[in-house]
Amino acid sequence: MPRKLFAAISQIVLGALIVIAPQTFAHVCAVKDMPMACHYTARVALGLGVVIALLAIIGFFAPSRVRAGLDIANAVLGVLVVLVPTMLVGVCRGSMMHCHMVTMPTLIVLGVLLAVLAAVAAYLDLKPAKRG
Amino acid sequence: MADVPHITLAKLPLANLRRKPFRTSALVIVVVMLTVAFYGGALLSMNLNNGLNSMRERMGADLMVTPQNTETKAEALLTGNASSTFYFTNDIGAEVAKADGVSKSTVQTYISSLAAACCDEKVQIIGFNPDTDFVITPWMASQIDGTLRRGQVVAGSGINVSTEGTVKLYGHEFPVAAQLADTGTSLDNSVFVNMDTVPDIISYSARTGHAAIPEKYAGKAVSAVLVKVRDGYPARQVAANIAKATGITSLGYVYPGGITATTKADLKAIIRYAAVFVVVFWAMGLIVMLAVFSSSMNERKREFAAYRILGATRATLVGIIVKESAIIGVLGGLIGISCASLAVLPFNGLIAEELQLPYLQIGVGKVLVLTAVSLLFAVATGLIAVIATAVRLSAPQTYLTLREGE
Repeated sequence: MPRKLFAAISQIVLGALIVIAPQTFAHVCAVKDMPMACHYTARVALGLGVVIALLAIIGFFAPSRVRAGLDIANAVLGVLVVLVPTMLVGVCRGSMMHCHMVTMPTLIVLGVLLAVLAAVAAYLDLKPAKRG
Repeated sequence: MADVPHITLAKLPLANLRRKPFRTSALVIVVVMLTVAFYGGALLSMNLNNGLNSMRERMGADLMVTPQNTETKAEALLTGNASSTFYFTNDIGAEVAKADGVSKSTVQTYISSLAAACCDEKVQIIGFNPDTDFVITPWMASQIDGTLRRGQVVAGSGINVSTEGTVKLYGHEFPVAAQLADTGTSLDNSVFVNMDTVPDIISYSARTGHAAIPEKYAGKAVSAVLVKVRDGYPARQVAANIAKATGITSLGYVYPGGITATTKADLKAIIRYAAVFVVVFWAMGLIVMLAVFSSSMNERKREFAAYRILGATRATLVGIIVKESAIIGVLGGLIGISCASLAVLPFNGLIAEELQLPYLQIGVGKVLVLTAVSLLFAVATGLIAVIATAVRLSAPQTYLTLREGE
């Protein structure tokens, strides 16, 4: 049960933060003439965050070996969360822009935390349970 | 029988730590906190120092001559606190150049633009004369090929350049010849143009209804004359000579060296406080670890006695607890360094913005060296904490010590 809770709570919280952050406290630049890269980064993060949280919820009700697979999937999605603002979609190029200064680092931190915690959860789920 | 784990002497320290997860976690958390304070504090201090060096390198001039009552604006522009527009309307550059003690002089024009497309902040436009400039060109030369042509701009690292390689200022798209690397100074939020481009910018600004400078001054508006003084001339003496030569007593004078000295003093104070905090924090953490190791020694008397009965020497017992503390040090150190790196490295821009001080991220090489030093620090902290226990175990009367309480 503690393993289940660890995997589910950590990943649901991080998934929710990945959805919320680019829309609120780590918001991207406002769209003026035309949408900048950061606008699309926020959209992709929203989609990824929802998927991450969903996988964590499904994992909560799944047997440990299935949950381990879902944990690995979330670890990979964590890496993707890092790659979206840094390489795949990007943010505004100006280092003083809010999306560059706040959104990108926030997503990097959330992505790294998700990748590490999901990998730990997968390891714990694959480890045979102790028999009293 | 096949399920019974086979524990060797080499695996024993790790097995001991795993057997007591709560105690191990508590010790690792203490090391993590100490490492975060040490590594994070050192990283921030080094970045601030790097920013100061970058600022010093880019000041270039000994004296800045500005219009009456604009010294504060000029200082704010140098330290990165605000962008602004101010200007002379006469040919001040030629007059300043004639003054005694002036070795080199060059003019610059500062225009604070409207917010560029998608930008939250105003952009500082700096017009300079590449023929006479001795301030910007030397450090820009390594990052731009050839000279800056009329109509082109060089963007600071903080400027948002479009994917087409342009910057929109006053409704006009300017091609960006180069984007500079981070300097940790106000220049990161500036756009540099050739002096010939300044009248164009003024005319574009007039078209938007917000003329940056009245169009009649477009060709001759100069915001500041930057002066390099001759060897042996104090900057204040040259300022007096300039007042005499120009006949204008109300000129403003800014001494970039003085600004650097003030910033350096501010930084030193911050770094001193950080160092005191890290030392106090470390001492407290060490006392906690000493207490935990000592009390666990009392708890583990029977365990150590059993090792002795099994043939372990005193050196073997000391080796076991030293390895345990080293493992705790490495684990806590790695976690602490990772946490502090995650909190500091990606948020460089935000930290610089909040500190309002020159802040420039140190290079990868220096970060790696700091990481290695911090890891050694974490392991050393663990080893120091275990010294008292090791001394007690290695004493000749260990046998009696271990039998206490039987």
